[in-house]
Amino acid sequence: MKHFTIESLEGHVDQASLELRGSLRTSRAQAEFERHLTQVHEHIVQKKYAAFEVDVRSLSFVNSSAIRLFVNWIALAERARYKLVFQTDRNVTWHRLSFSVLKGLAPSTVEIREESRRGGPAP
Amino acid sequence: MTPSAGAPPRLDRTMKILRSEEAVSEAVLFAERAVHSCSARCREAVALAACELAENVGKYGVQHADPRAGTISIGVRGDVVRITVTNAVRDPQEARSVMAIVARIASCESVAELYRRRLSELFTNPGAPRAQLGLLRLAFEGGFTLSATYDAPLLQIIAERRCEDD
Repeated sequence: MKHFTIESLEGHVDQASLELRGSLRTSRAQAEFERHLTQVHEHIVQKKYAAFEVDVRSLSFVNSSAIRLFVNWIALAERARYKLVFQTDRNVTWHRLSFSVLKGLAPSTVEIREESRRGGPAP
Repeated sequence: MTPSAGAPPRLDRTMKILRSEEAVSEAVLFAERAVHSCSARCREAVALAACELAENVGKYGVQHADPRAGTISIGVRGDVVRITVTNAVRDPQEARSVMAIVARIASCESVAELYRRRLSELFTNPGAPRAQLGLLRLAFEGGFTLSATYDAPLLQIIAERRCEDD
């Protein structure tokens, strides 16, 4: 179990899951977040997880540099043959729009579980 | 509340984007205050635009004596919100490159397809030096229409969108 805080971003790694909360706005935070994602990737590979959950429902905002980090992570996951399961909130615009595109990059590697923090799972 | 179409014109609010680590967060806060009476969806889009545009000023802008250099302005007229970011650029080629990106986004048939294609390029080429996602996100996620002008050394990017109800 590991917890990290980067400016207004909080991450919580627990075995086969990562929960992200807050927001990521600056280049400095992005550089540090990249380092943590690399460690998470190494943890997944070392533990030989077939799937890894990433809960971003409380991640209210990220800049475009962070979107690129997700793209890079998906590429790493595809090569290492594990699945990334993103839990998103359909009421958050960037979740609804960007994660559907991210899934399209590697449909067999990315799974989206869309929920609504206001009203339960998406229909 | 969404500003009504018949509302009187309002002066733009302008903020200097300082060269500091807090610059992006300050620009976002400024933007959120400037559109506090708009719908949640509009406020979300404006915050996204302020973040991406302010970051670009910090990354690519250079200091210049012109008071417009390194500024962000936001105004709501009727039901349209407009964000204007002005910064000085060192190399005219850089300004032309940004203008070409803006023109490509503004004239494309599907900004969603353009975004998908760009993410796909980054997926297959993770070493690409620049993500060039910021302006695309403004159009795709924020629903902004983009335009740009260049009057050396000042590059101005304008992002506009309707401020619809939630």
